[in-house]
Amino acid sequence: MPQRSVVEAPNPLREGLRIKQSPEPCVMVIFGSTGDLTHRKLLPALYNLALEHPLPAGFSVVGFARRPYDDETFRKQALDSVNEFSRQKPVNPQVWESFASGLFYLQSNFHDPAGYEKLANLLNKLDQERGTSGNRIFYLSTPPSQYPEIIQNLGAAGLNRNRKGWTRIIVEKPFGHDLPSARELNRQVGKVFKEEQVYRIDHYLGKETVQNILVFRLANGIFEPIWNRRYVDHVQITVAENIGIEGRGAYYEESGAIRDMVQNHMLQLLTLVAMEPPIAFEANAVHDEKVKVLHALQPLVGRDVINNTIRAQYGPGWVSGHQVPGYLEENGVNPASTTETYVAMKLFIDNWRWAGVPFYLRTGKHLPKRVTEIAIQFKTAPLMLFKRSDAQGQVEPNTLTLRIQPDEGISLKFGAKVPGTDMQIRSVNMDFFYGSSFVRQQPEAYERLLLDCMLGDSTLFTRRDEVEAAWSFVQGILDEWQNEPRSSILTYESGIWGPQAADEFIWRDGYRWRRP
Amino acid sequence: MTKEIAETPGVRLPWAGKVVRMEEVEETLSYFWRMSADNVRISQNMNVRTSVLNFVICAQDIPSAQRASALLRNLSSTHIARVILLILDMSAESPTDVTTWATLRSFPIISDIMRHSFEQVTILASGAATRASASLIQPLLKPDLPVYLWWLGDPPQDETLLHKLTDLSSRVIVDSNTFLTPEQSVSTLSTFLQEAPDSALSDLNWGRITPWRQLVAQFFDVPAYKPYLAGVYNIEVEHAVAPLARHLASEQGDISPNPALALLLAGWLKNSLNWKVNGSEENLHDPETGTHIWNIVRNTGPLHMDIATKETTTKLGHSGRGSIQIRPRVQSGIQPGSLCLVRLSSTVENKRATFTINREDETDNVLTSAHLPEEGGTLPQRTVNVATPQDASILLHDELEIIGRDHLYEAALHEVFEMLAE
Repeated sequence: MPQRSVVEAPNPLREGLRIKQSPEPCVMVIFGSTGDLTHRKLLPALYNLALEHPLPAGFSVVGFARRPYDDETFRKQALDSVNEFSRQKPVNPQVWESFASGLFYLQSNFHDPAGYEKLANLLNKLDQERGTSGNRIFYLSTPPSQYPEIIQNLGAAGLNRNRKGWTRIIVEKPFGHDLPSARELNRQVGKVFKEEQVYRIDHYLGKETVQNILVFRLANGIFEPIWNRRYVDHVQITVAENIGIEGRGAYYEESGAIRDMVQNHMLQLLTLVAMEPPIAFEANAVHDEKVKVLHALQPLVGRDVINNTIRAQYGPGWVSGHQVPGYLEENGVNPASTTETYVAMKLFIDNWRWAGVPFYLRTGKHLPKRVTEIAIQFKTAPLMLFKRSDAQGQVEPNTLTLRIQPDEGISLKFGAKVPGTDMQIRSVNMDFFYGSSFVRQQPEAYERLLLDCMLGDSTLFTRRDEVEAAWSFVQGILDEWQNEPRSSILTYESGIWGPQAADEFIWRDGYRWRRP
Repeated sequence: MTKEIAETPGVRLPWAGKVVRMEEVEETLSYFWRMSADNVRISQNMNVRTSVLNFVICAQDIPSAQRASALLRNLSSTHIARVILLILDMSAESPTDVTTWATLRSFPIISDIMRHSFEQVTILASGAATRASASLIQPLLKPDLPVYLWWLGDPPQDETLLHKLTDLSSRVIVDSNTFLTPEQSVSTLSTFLQEAPDSALSDLNWGRITPWRQLVAQFFDVPAYKPYLAGVYNIEVEHAVAPLARHLASEQGDISPNPALALLLAGWLKNSLNWKVNGSEENLHDPETGTHIWNIVRNTGPLHMDIATKETTTKLGHSGRGSIQIRPRVQSGIQPGSLCLVRLSSTVENKRATFTINREDETDNVLTSAHLPEEGGTLPQRTVNVATPQDASILLHDELEIIGRDHLYEAALHEVFEMLAE
């Protein structure tokens, strides 16, 4: 007799629908449920998912935190969050009532084992009453210092796995403070959870325009052939913020721009731009290619760090019409702080595709405006037929700009002849705006990521080796900076595009920073 | 054939732009573009001129054409290159005549600084000229761009006209919510598709049932409920009718009673579940109450596939008999034709399950519930929103983004045709 196996067929009613599967009923336990992230992002995202009904019936949330709330207080707080931050307003009262009936609160200290026993009992009760079938997501939305004890206690209470359903854990950034702490955190997580249960979240990857980088590169035949060192002159990645540290002095002092932006968001953008096409659009295949890029980064150590990075702090100035103080005058900031609020750096990727192509990264606070973009500047035409004297204009290199935020879109700059009898050439931009091409409202990044986690798809999350590879690169810079004197940190006036030295830094290579 | 405008007073359509001879349409539009460029220079606006498609709208009266023209302002982000609004005056007493208008329409996108413009040509044809509609519009189409045809109201009885226009089109769009004779027109469309199998047809009502399809499908994403899909034996669908249950046309052109949405949903389920109508006399259509009942033969599956080493066999889930019921529910305050209830009853191994989506009031919220008496009763109900864009422009916008055929819609339409034929 031939051996037979039974294969589960997909739901035939899903054919032709945009959402190919909805998640199984589950409970999401949010540690730190009274915090800012839960208030601003998580609860509004979950409500939006309920409203647009990808969330399954019976879906429940358990808030786990120290404040003496009860279910009703938590629900009221949640309603305030949704009223203030949901992209779908006004709140639909009936949908809210239905969603709120699945919100519960458990008061406990994170170190108290009794709290986790109570949590286990509550989860079992919800399995019975709301049909959540043992499916659980634990969301760490606390300060990172509390991750280890929560993870350890979840393991001790046997909540890291169960026989009935699946268990997953979402870990918010920052994932570690440096390479050793990231490895240690990975080790601790790995002792309790298997890697396939762990979802390290970087909300940048949930943005539609970030995902579109891959679509743009790999779904269009005309770009990939020129996406390499033969045609690309250099790449600039800019993540600029016009805000300062917004009262988070204590946090930012421990972080700085390199940990807050470069190690995660910017290196993620870099990997998406530079990676090889994966063998499939599937989590491990994508992670494999991203990790290869991180491993191929030319390490910056010793004098390389000094020659290829600029770090600075914002001084007083004017931003968006308001006078703002300098970083060292902010509350919670050490007046002798060496924490950088601006970083610019030049990287090289040592592989066949990118050898010799400089990648310039810059990020900073209190810059003139909030903008995230990736600009790929192509090499100029091999022979310029139109001499400058004839053209009476300037032939600029072609630049392809992927705008991540705001005004999400793509633009291509190319030269065109100005109408007339003389040969005048001007650069023009061909623009694609998401907002004008797709009227559909874009989901918030957290909506996409939370839904993916419920569905068990980790493509848009970061894998253990990816995190460690990113830290491994950044660690060399951190080590060298630590050895440098305080005077090596430059100051820039708030409201301008960084220190003069950053301009000189790129001029040395014959380029200039884009003015986004 | 073009009318000598100067010699006759003709019909006045100020919203359609300037009256022109048909042979002067291109020249007039070029002039409008130059005027527009001058305005842009003066006002420092940016003019976005992206050409993606030709959009032909076929109306059978001037008020319908004017309504369609008005909603085009919401479609600018689809980057229409040219709209040809064809008004067919089919009345027997009208003389043979053609009048043409042209205009350039410009609307802000993103902000007032950036504007999108498209060309609009309106043609009023009457008498014998209506039969030459395809010839009238052919020279006006922008080259090398797809042609979308939106047919307003019921499809014409004169299939030749529709076939000729369809031959020019990449996609034909209708809205069965505005059909005066929904059952007959749905059958006409199905027949039309069978005779013109290369045509791509879509219905705005198909977009309206998408949230309901998602909710029905969602029940069976839950592993514990999935086996019950094979055991479904009864489907009930209710659609809203206005009080008095008499024929009624709203300002938007919605007709009551109109079971088109309910029929499409039932057709989709019947196709997905692989059901066949049992050609028995027990099938019922009561014109008085608007109730339809069909008895069906179930060959549900395949939900599981047994994969052998050398051969692949498909094991069907359950078989037996069942029924589909469609009935009106008098409910004021919501758009006539809207779905009010979908209920699927199932049994598997003597265990019963009922999956219900019910609109309880006039809002766009529905209550979904799964009742399994032998397996713990009723699991938590939830309220979700099924608001579908009632504004045809939003549904149209989605349709204009699709290129190619929607085979699932076509299959559902054929199922409806088969059901109505019984």
